[in-house]
Amino acid sequence: MRQYETGFLVSPALTDEETEAIVQQMAGVVSQKSGKMSRIEKWGKRKMAYAIKKHNEAFYVFFHYESGSDAPLELARRFRQMDTILRHLTLVKETRQNVRKKKKAGGRNRAKETAAEASAPTPAAAEAAGSEPKKHEEA
Amino acid sequence: MPRDERPEKGSYKKFFPPKKKFCRFCQRNVKYIDYKNVDILKRYIPDRGKISPRRVTGTCAFHQRKLAEAVKRARLLAMLPYVMD
Repeated sequence: MRQYETGFLVSPALTDEETEAIVQQMAGVVSQKSGKMSRIEKWGKRKMAYAIKKHNEAFYVFFHYESGSDAPLELARRFRQMDTILRHLTLVKETRQNVRKKKKAGGRNRAKETAAEASAPTPAAAEAAGSEPKKHEEA
Repeated sequence: MPRDERPEKGSYKKFFPPKKKFCRFCQRNVKYIDYKNVDILKRYIPDRGKISPRRVTGTCAFHQRKLAEAVKRARLLAMLPYVMD
């Protein structure tokens, strides 16, 4: 399960009810694929920075949900089939809290780990070396 | 301006040192730049709609990468223009 964010633009040629119906239908797709919808953002009609299919405005909708990988795939497949969806974009949300790390601290830790690893194998190797002659004796 | 009147590189900087630039995102300790915050992104795409370089805005490398990604996503959803004329 992952956090996804899907944004799409609905054509302004549709009426408000038709737009609402499409949004509900798409929300239904997410729940059908056992996804959990956390938030639906509707920006309403908004002017676009450039014309798409000769439309200057579009209805902006954003879904925030948690689901397996099949829900966004199914959504994208449906979006592509519909002429009334002008654009769509799905992102996987970053779940790691601290993405940025200080390099120096990481380097030191790594150095310690490698040192620990380097020291660890030696007793094991000694045991292995010790066990081998015994086998020979048994044989 | 004729060539000999032009201030020399070193001396100009000596008397009028440029104001130190800094990363606005680091200042606010931003971890993730959302592509839906169009107002913030708009500050980094002057006139032509191009992404301002780091040397102009003073953004750090980490946030410049995030910023560029956010601007490109916003462009796809027609929140920002690819070109302005």
